[in-house]
Amino acid sequence: METIACPDCDLLQRLPGLPPGGKARCPRCNRILGSQPTDSLDRALALTLTAAIVFIVANTSPLMGLSAVGRHASTTIVGGAYQMWLQGQVVTAIIVAFCAVIAPASYILFMLTVLLAMRRPPAPHWVGEMLRWADSMQPWSMSEVMMLGILVALIKIAELATVEPGIGMYGVGGLIVLFAAIMVTFHPREIWERIEWAEGSAPPRSDRGAGR
Amino acid sequence: MAENFDRDDLPRATVVPKRGTRISIVWIIPILAAVVAIGIAIQRVMSEGPTITILFTVAEGLEAGKTFVKYKDVNIGQVTAVKLSTDHSKVEVTAKIDKSAGDLMVEDARFWVVQPRVTLSGVSGLGTLLSGNYIGFELGKSKKAQRKFTGLEVPPIITGSQPGRQFMLKAENLGSLGIGSPIYYRQLQAGQVIAYDLTADGKSVQMKVFINAPYDKYVNRDTRFWNASGVDVSVGAGGVEVRTQSLVSVVAGGVAFDTPPFAVKSETAATDSVFTLHSDKTTAMKQPDAISTHYVLHFTETLRGLSVGAPVTLLGLPAGEVTDVGLTIDPATMNVRGRVEIVSFPERLVAHLGQNKAAIDKMVQASAQGRQDIMRRMVEQRGMRAQLRSGSLITGQMFVAFDFFPNAPKPKIDWSREVPELPVVPSTVSDLEAKITGIVAKLDKLPLDTISADLTKVLTTLSQTLEDASKAVNRIDSDVTPGLKTTLEGLRGTISAVDRTLTSTDATLVGRDAPAQQDLRDALQEIARAARSLRILTDFLEQHPEALIRGKSAENP
Amino acid sequence: MTSAPLTAAEAGLLSCETCALLSRPADPSEPGYCPRCGGELEWRRHHSIQYTWALVIAAAICFIPANVLPVLSSTTLGSVDSDTIMSGVVFLYTSGSWPLALIVLIASVMIPLGKLVAIAYLLITVQRGSISSSRERTRLYRMVEFIGRWSMLDVFVDTFTVALIQLQPLMFVEPGPGVLFFAAVVVLTMIAAESFDPRLIWDSPTNRERLHG
Repeated sequence: METIACPDCDLLQRLPGLPPGGKARCPRCNRILGSQPTDSLDRALALTLTAAIVFIVANTSPLMGLSAVGRHASTTIVGGAYQMWLQGQVVTAIIVAFCAVIAPASYILFMLTVLLAMRRPPAPHWVGEMLRWADSMQPWSMSEVMMLGILVALIKIAELATVEPGIGMYGVGGLIVLFAAIMVTFHPREIWERIEWAEGSAPPRSDRGAGR
Repeated sequence: MAENFDRDDLPRATVVPKRGTRISIVWIIPILAAVVAIGIAIQRVMSEGPTITILFTVAEGLEAGKTFVKYKDVNIGQVTAVKLSTDHSKVEVTAKIDKSAGDLMVEDARFWVVQPRVTLSGVSGLGTLLSGNYIGFELGKSKKAQRKFTGLEVPPIITGSQPGRQFMLKAENLGSLGIGSPIYYRQLQAGQVIAYDLTADGKSVQMKVFINAPYDKYVNRDTRFWNASGVDVSVGAGGVEVRTQSLVSVVAGGVAFDTPPFAVKSETAATDSVFTLHSDKTTAMKQPDAISTHYVLHFTETLRGLSVGAPVTLLGLPAGEVTDVGLTIDPATMNVRGRVEIVSFPERLVAHLGQNKAAIDKMVQASAQGRQDIMRRMVEQRGMRAQLRSGSLITGQMFVAFDFFPNAPKPKIDWSREVPELPVVPSTVSDLEAKITGIVAKLDKLPLDTISADLTKVLTTLSQTLEDASKAVNRIDSDVTPGLKTTLEGLRGTISAVDRTLTSTDATLVGRDAPAQQDLRDALQEIARAARSLRILTDFLEQHPEALIRGKSAENP
Repeated sequence: MTSAPLTAAEAGLLSCETCALLSRPADPSEPGYCPRCGGELEWRRHHSIQYTWALVIAAAICFIPANVLPVLSSTTLGSVDSDTIMSGVVFLYTSGSWPLALIVLIASVMIPLGKLVAIAYLLITVQRGSISSSRERTRLYRMVEFIGRWSMLDVFVDTFTVALIQLQPLMFVEPGPGVLFFAAVVVLTMIAAESFDPRLIWDSPTNRERLHG
């Protein structure tokens, strides 16, 4: 419990702990003294949902359109990996597909599952496992590297053809931003604090110095 | 002044908990994203045109996601998949067509692969060497939408948007024409043959031709088309004439058209009108005869060598044509006769008239009845008859000639029949033949052996007698001599007569009981008697030479 | 208690890699699973040094063909042009886009090489029991972990160039064999960074022996 003075009316008062989303007001002059941010999980969920939508759009729309000597070409992300496959580079195609599509998709999927499961407490214990998987997928989802790669390729191609960015490109850009936002807003601690322990029981008190 | 205060006495700030489940503002982001995504999806669905499948025998250079469908050089769709059809006989190409071109996917729309090609009409599609093959498209006229098509193997000769019109030509056979064969108007290429097929009855070939603008306006109802393939050689009074339209037409066949000079200004022919393809320019430009009358002729002689289209002449000038050659059998009597149907074109004869041309022309043009009158008078009063004649001894071709036979028997013609029958006379050829056959037969039958044997005997006796007689004459020179002389004169006359008779065999030898033959026999018998009596006289004179002086006495019989 | 900072391992406690819960092991040799999140508890990443060495060596082997073999061959009207990573960089530089050349050079050559060297260095120093500049080494490790993914750049450039430039017969592009090795280098070094346990940097030699096994 903190002691503060209202900036407006200088009333000396105690500031209690606030629930998430709650606000403290001065009893005398009703000025807002402080607010507790809402459950960060909400924000993370909103962002993850958006990421899911944007991901679908980014992968189903063509990345860009290219025209040269009267011919046109365009490709999606999956199309790019598929071309490598067709050209005989099977392993490379798989790697590219994994880093560009599968890893981000899995990350989004796992995060969504975790976040949605957390809305109905108590969170089941498998949430933890899912979060671990999401975490392991994270270093492998290289959407931003791919973006830069596409841009470099575009610049190389732009010399001999006219290139037009497509919806897919903007989608990937949006996805990168969203991923960054998710990583910023999401605090795993929120999960760990609320999760139902694998052992089934409530979190025990921490035991200091135990084991020695 | 610092005051000691107990913190617990201080008031507490009011805690205002989160009101209900107020939705945080952050949810705008996913909602926005969802709206945009749905908008994109809807736009994509709305702008999607139909998906079509085209069956090709070979899909050369067609790649999914790359090959376009183009119309007038504008992309109207793209190939999305290329795979074998279920029965593995053809290639099934799936293409997504732009929405803007969706309405063009109708029943008779045509698709083909545009690739470099060399055809009769030239080289096409070279641009695809650079740009890659694409699928060409041509409009169809139908209104019925369709999604499954069969691609053409070769590009259509004419495209729907090309200005010009289509017509049909009918010919007996295709000749050396083919798809792409050029069509000329005054030696300018005006169009092409685009398709051909056998007519339903299998008796002629029908060709579809396309005449480009602006030449199509020269095709009117009187226009004639003729086969101008190859080289046209004609030998005429002026010498040998060689005509050809173009090198292409020599190789690939060609058709030419023009409007004959005698055609009055007639209206332009409607699209898809049918024209006859004549075999050459002369036939094509022949003026049709407006007035024609049909007649039938019956012949008892052979009609071999008479073909349909053979000329009918009057006094050697063209007057009509043979239209049919056949037989009639009278079932009752089993009498078989040859039947020839002819058509007469009086205008042709009128063209040859010198004076009175206008007057006769007027009569001819006047009415059918008038023409019939003319015909009747010529047949009944002037003895006009039809006769088969040989046109060429080499080919054996015959023709029908009308000529005047004043001595011909009176005909019985029923002029009221629709196709009157005209009288005929047998042809001279057969007449001569018959005569010769008859003479040969008769000559065969003559007992020439007997006659010649008799003749030899008589001649021998005669020569003997004459010898004796000349002996006798040398010895005597008296009154007996005048008698003898007379007998000798008479004998000489008889011999001359016999001589004469023998030289004119023609009339005298005809007929077994011909009077001449009988005369000959009589004459020969006479000679024999004369010779005998002369011998008796000579013998007597030898024995009784004084008889010449004294005469025959009673005592010497 | 000694004055040196205490590590959890020295205190006999295990920190769950996933949820950071400190817990007592079920058994010192078989620590068991995290009670909160169920993740496997390990003193240090499984056979960290061995695995990391194996992966680094494999990556180093792949590094040679990755740079020697061509990664892209473009055929223009029949004439074929094969490019390795280095020749691609040179081409970009000579054709005037030197920023691109720089980016590709850093991402495709220097970073992978740097990673290999850095991880090798970390391994060597850990194995030698060095205790100096531990903070710098940890920072190096974090850098390696962070920057690793960016070497995948050239693979993506290759992929999308190939996907777009297919204008037969005028011009078309094919990936070369080098690109597979290059992708392998990136993947292997990333896994190597994951399998290296940075806590080893801070372990005293005796503890490391005990923990690493």
